[in-house]
Amino acid sequence: MHVLKRLFILAFVAAVIGLGVFWWLTIPVTVAASTLPPHTPNPGNGAVVFNAGGCSSCHATPAQQDRLKLGGGLPLTSPFGTFYVPNISPDPTAGIGRWSEADFVTALLKGTSPNGSHYFPAFPYTSYQQMKVEDIRDLFAFLKTLPPVASKAPDHAVPFPFNIRRNLGVWKLLFLDGKPFEADASKSPQWNRGSYLVNALGHCAECHSPRNALGGIVTLQRFAGGPNPDGEGWVPNITQKRLGDWSEKDIAYFLETGQTPDGDTAGGSMARVIRNTSQLSADDRSAMALYLKSLPAVEGPIRPAKKG
Amino acid sequence: MKRALLVVGALLLGVGAVSAQQEIVKERQTLMKSNGRALGGTLSAMAKGDKPYDQAAVEAALTVLDETAKKLPTLFPDSTKGLKAEGDYSTSPKVWEDKAGFDAHIVTFAKAVTDAKAKIKDLDSLKANVGGIGKACGGCHETFRLKI
Repeated sequence: MHVLKRLFILAFVAAVIGLGVFWWLTIPVTVAASTLPPHTPNPGNGAVVFNAGGCSSCHATPAQQDRLKLGGGLPLTSPFGTFYVPNISPDPTAGIGRWSEADFVTALLKGTSPNGSHYFPAFPYTSYQQMKVEDIRDLFAFLKTLPPVASKAPDHAVPFPFNIRRNLGVWKLLFLDGKPFEADASKSPQWNRGSYLVNALGHCAECHSPRNALGGIVTLQRFAGGPNPDGEGWVPNITQKRLGDWSEKDIAYFLETGQTPDGDTAGGSMARVIRNTSQLSADDRSAMALYLKSLPAVEGPIRPAKKG
Repeated sequence: MKRALLVVGALLLGVGAVSAQQEIVKERQTLMKSNGRALGGTLSAMAKGDKPYDQAAVEAALTVLDETAKKLPTLFPDSTKGLKAEGDYSTSPKVWEDKAGFDAHIVTFAKAVTDAKAKIKDLDSLKANVGGIGKACGGCHETFRLKI
């Protein structure tokens, strides 16, 4: 009896310590306003960041043509539930009109919301964490110039246990390395610009890579394509395994027009992506092409046989 | 006996009807492939500078696109709804759920081709107008084509 009681107390203490450690490990990280150096925002550069980052691909109000109306509401289906893209227009209640600049930097670099909870990684902060802080601040200034949209996006329909946001702290420990973008000095400035555009802003790998059971990108198969995270079909491999016979010019032309070398055109969600990349400068598209062309050929997951 | 013959006959008719529908699906794919060749292999290849400008080839390519634009409205009858296609793509059910929206895309495409026919005279006017055609293709593929 005595032993049992002791065991019970021990188990209880272990559980409390465990919970404490869990709580401590999963504290959402924030960026304090005081750590931000002086900066005069440049909304013009913010517009470039906006286009390269593909913000409007997801945040634009669906079923209308204006890509600068960022009312959100687009459903993103996933194995973990359905996410509804939030409103990021400057509306004070439905959007981000009341956010501080530090709130915005925190959201993109740390995936933490202004009320201090973890964002779901449907918001690709695993890529945006590599953004330069000046670019984020310029983007914030640009978003402020856009029209407010008063419609509130629906709440996410994510079932238990995935709806416990605190758990995302563990996910971040596994998949959010917190490393800023580092230029590769052995490569040209154009290649580095391309890498920054593709990895940090364009977040191409978020769809063009397979994911593991926990929803993290399989690092070894980054850019090697895989099942469409948002519905049916297959996202193509964009390493040289698949794009070997595309020239740099072909890739740049695709990003400008949505046309593949064989005259097909991008459909589905890639059509929305092209609407952003078509706004970039020709130099930026060429840089992305140069970088993508340099990716070694990597075999992606095996595509299952088609049914019916 | 008579009844058996009737049943067999009806079945054969049914099979015939199904394969006729399947033919329509095939024809769509053939037309889209020739569109792709006209656009990617000729017009865009010249705009990119991969091929020299050739007015006769431009006109031939635009004729292909124009003929497709004229045929498209007849290629999606209700009877083909839900039919599977071979290859990487299939038709979204939205073609029939949002018939008006789909038809509007065909009109946009036809207009882009007509405009291009009127305007493309040299490399510069090709560069300026070929994008409109691709945009029309992509605009429809975004919603009405599915990857399988």
